[in-house]
Amino acid sequence: MTWLCWALAGTTAIQLAPNPLYVLVVIGVAWVVVSAHGLGGPFARAFPWLVAAATVFGILRVVLTAITTHGGSDVLFSTPSFTLPEVLGGFTVGGTIETQAVVYAAAEGLVIVGIVAVFAAFNAVVSHYELVQTAPRAFHELGLVVVVALAFVPSIITSIHDVGEADRARTGGRIVRRGRLLRRIVPVLESGLERAITLSESLDSRGFGHRGPSARERGAGWCGALALLGLGAAFVALVASEGAIALVLAIIGAVGLGAAIVLVSGASTRVRYRRRPLTAADFACIAVVIAAPVLVGVVSLVGDATLKWPVDPLLWPSVHVLPVVALLALLAPCARQPAAVMATAPPRIRTAPPATVDAP
Amino acid sequence: MSAFEFRQVSFAYPDADLALREVDFEVAPGEILLVVGSSGSGKSTLLRCANGLVPHSSGGRFSGDVIAFGRSTRSHHPRELADVVGFVGQDPEAQFVVDQVEHDVAFVLENLGIPEQAMRRRVEETLDALGIAHLRDRSPSTLSGGERQRAAIAGALAAAPSALVLDEPTSQLDPQGADDVLAAVSRLNADLGTTVVLAEHRLERAAPLADRAVLVDGGRVASPASPRAVLTGYAGAPSVTRLGRLLGWDPAPLTVREARDAASKHPLIGATIADPLSDARGDMLVRATNLEVMLGAQRALANATIDIGQGEVVALLGRNGAGKTTLLRALARLVEPSRGRVDGSGTVAYVPQDPGSLLFAPTVRGEVAETLRLLGRRDDDAVEAWLERLGIAHLAERHPRSLAGGERQRIAVAAVAVGGAEVLMLDEPTRGMDAASRNALEHAVKAHAAAGGAVVLATHDIELAAQCATRVIVLGDGEVIVEGPARAVLAGSLYAPQVLRVLPPFLTVTDVEIALARTQQP
Repeated sequence: MTWLCWALAGTTAIQLAPNPLYVLVVIGVAWVVVSAHGLGGPFARAFPWLVAAATVFGILRVVLTAITTHGGSDVLFSTPSFTLPEVLGGFTVGGTIETQAVVYAAAEGLVIVGIVAVFAAFNAVVSHYELVQTAPRAFHELGLVVVVALAFVPSIITSIHDVGEADRARTGGRIVRRGRLLRRIVPVLESGLERAITLSESLDSRGFGHRGPSARERGAGWCGALALLGLGAAFVALVASEGAIALVLAIIGAVGLGAAIVLVSGASTRVRYRRRPLTAADFACIAVVIAAPVLVGVVSLVGDATLKWPVDPLLWPSVHVLPVVALLALLAPCARQPAAVMATAPPRIRTAPPATVDAP
Repeated sequence: MSAFEFRQVSFAYPDADLALREVDFEVAPGEILLVVGSSGSGKSTLLRCANGLVPHSSGGRFSGDVIAFGRSTRSHHPRELADVVGFVGQDPEAQFVVDQVEHDVAFVLENLGIPEQAMRRRVEETLDALGIAHLRDRSPSTLSGGERQRAAIAGALAAAPSALVLDEPTSQLDPQGADDVLAAVSRLNADLGTTVVLAEHRLERAAPLADRAVLVDGGRVASPASPRAVLTGYAGAPSVTRLGRLLGWDPAPLTVREARDAASKHPLIGATIADPLSDARGDMLVRATNLEVMLGAQRALANATIDIGQGEVVALLGRNGAGKTTLLRALARLVEPSRGRVDGSGTVAYVPQDPGSLLFAPTVRGEVAETLRLLGRRDDDAVEAWLERLGIAHLAERHPRSLAGGERQRIAVAAVAVGGAEVLMLDEPTRGMDAASRNALEHAVKAHAAAGGAVVLATHDIELAAQCATRVIVLGDGEVIVEGPARAVLAGSLYAPQVLRVLPPFLTVTDVEIALARTQQP
C-alpha cells in the first residue's frame, strides 16, 4: 500500500514538475530506494535494464523529433531534406535541425525515463504476491493469474538462454544458422508448456478452487454480466447522444458491478495469511510521500516558473529549493527498516511461541 | 481403513497403450511404501492416481477405483483431496505458486480456509518440521536443490495431510541434500504417523527407510512385500544388495552396516588389485590452465588447471553449486573465462543437465539424426548404432517429450554423441535413470573412451563414478580440492561407494565379480 502511494506520488510529481533537473532528482530518489529496499529478485535486477531501455527510447525520440520538427530559431546544422507526400502526413524529414527541438525532445524523453524509473523501482521493491493479497478478495483469482504469469518471465528467460547454449553445444561449437530459430523456439515453448501443466497440477493438488462456485458467486456472476450489459448499452446511448438514458444505464451498470464485487468478496472462503494492517508508521510514511506531489502542486499554483522549462528562448534551467525539498520527501520510505516498510511484509520478529515448534 | 486402496485400476493416456494394468493393492496407514521400477514403467502414473491427478488432470481411459482415506478419486478432484493427500511431483521448481517460501507454504491453508491463528501455527510447525525456518523469506529460485525440495514438500505438508506422495524426491540432489530430505520424510512418518508413498531410483538411502516396497513393471504392480524381498531380485537394487546376491549372503543386506557384518571374514578383503585403466591416458585433448569464471559478481570457478587426455573418463564430484556445471561449460567454451584459458585440439560437445532444452524433433530417431544434419552429414548407421548403444532403439518412433526423465536423458546423450565430438561433457547424466539405462550409459561412456575419445561427467552419483571413471576430481566452492585416480580419491571420501566400504579395496560389484572369477580359475 505504502509503495503504491509512493509510485503514484512519484509519477504525479514528475508530471507536475517536468523541469529536467527536478526529474533527475526523482530518478535519483528511485535509484536510492531500489538499492535500499530491492528484494533481490529478477525484478530488482531488471531496474537498470528498464531505465536503460527507457533511455534508448528517449534518444530515439530525440532523433525522430529533431528531423521532423522545425520552426525553432537557433539552427544547429542542416541535413539533406525531403518532404513526404500529402498522404503520409506531408511533413518534411531532415533539413534544418534546431536546438530548441532537440532540447525539448530530450527534456520530454527524460520525463519518460523518470516515469519508467519510478515504475521499475516500484516493481523492484514490491512483492507481487503481497500486492495481490491486498487487493479486494473479488480480484484475488485474477491477481493470482497475473502473478503466476509474471513468475514465468524469469524462467522463460533462463530457458531461452539454456536452449541457445544447448543448441550451440550440440554441434561441438559449430554454428549452424539454418533453422536455428525453430530449434531455439520449439524447446522453449515445449518446456514452458510442461511447466504450466506441472504448475496447474500443483495448484490442483494444493486445494486451489477447493469449494467450487457457491450460490453467492453465481449471483455475482449474473450481477457482473448485467453490469457489463448496462455499461455497454450506456455507451451506445451516449454515442447516440441520448444523455439521460445513458446516465440511467451507467448507474445501473455501476451498481451491478459494485454488487458483484461485494457478493464475491463475501462469498470467498479464502483466509489470508499474515495480513499486516497499516501501522501508524505506515500512515506517517504515506502522508510524507503524498506531501511531495501536493507541495509541488501548491508551488505550481503559486506560480513558480522553474517547474517547467521554457526552451524558447533557450536558458539554463533554474532550480528553487522548495520543490527539491518536496521531491526529496519521496525518500521517506528509506528512513525505515527495509522489512517493515512493505505494507504487507511479514515482520521479522518470530511471533510463534516455542511450544508450537514441536510436532503436535 | 487403509490409506489407499487401488481396486483393479487400469489406465491409458490419450492415444496410448495401457500405462497401468489391473493394479490392485492397499497401502496401510502410517507406513512408508517404496515404489520401484524401471524408467517409463508407470511409477509416476501410479503415484498420480493416488490423489486423482490421473485421470482428472491427465485425461485418458481409466477403469477401476482408487480410494484415498475413504474418498474415491472417481468422485473427488485432487483439490478435494488436498486436506488428506499431499503430492510433490518430479520437478519441484515448477511447483511453487508464490515466489516466497513462507507464503508458498501457506498457500494450501489459504485455499482450505483455515482460520488465521491456526494457519500461523501450522506454517511455523511445517517450516520447523522440514528445517527450513531460516529460508522463509527467500525466493525458491535462489535455494539449493535440497532446500528447494524440502520447501516443496513443506508446501504439500502444511495442510497436515494424512499421506504424502513423493515422486523421486532425491533424484536431483547431492548426497547431503538427499540425506536431508529423506531424514525429514522419515521424521514426519515417525512423529506424525504420516503415510508416505515414495518412488525412487536411487535406493541406497531410501530402501532402509521403507516398511514395504512394490515393483512396477510394464504397468503391472506386484503386491507389496518387504523391501528386502522385493529388492533381492531387482536389477536396480543398491550395490550392497547386489554384492550380497553375488556372494550368496542370505538374507541379502540392504545397508552397508548389515553387509559389513556379513563380509567381516571374507577372504577378498584387503586383496590387491591392479588398476588396469590408470595408465591408459593418451594424447591431450583439452587443457584448462588457471581457469577463473565469474558468474555475475560470484566467482564460480577459481584457478582450475585440468588436462583431459584420450581414453579418460573423468568424474567431477562436489555438492550442488560447487562449480561442476560451470567447469563443464567452460571446457566446452560456452562461458568466457575471466582469467586463464582453455586450449587443445579435441572437439568438445556438451549435454546439458535438462534434456528438455535440447529436444525438439517429433521422433527420437529424428532428434538423433538432427545433429548429423546440422553438421552436414548423413549417416543412418551411426544413428542406429547410438540408439542401440544407449538402449533406446525400441523408442525410436516415439515423441521425445512423451517419455520419462531417464529416457529423455539418454536421447539427449545419443543426440549429442552422434556428432562424433572427441570429448563428451555429460552434466548429471543419470538423473532419474534406472539400472538398465545406467548400464547402457556406462558401456557407452567406456566405449567412447576406449575408441580414443574422452568423457567428462559431472555427477552426484558416486556409484556411477566408481563404475566408469578413471580419474576423479572433487570440486568445492569453485576450487579443485582433490584430483587423482578414482580408487585413491573415492577411498578417502565420506561418500565412498558402498562396495568400497564393505569390501575394500573393491569399488564395484563388477570388480568383485572379476576377482572372484580369478580366484576360482587356478
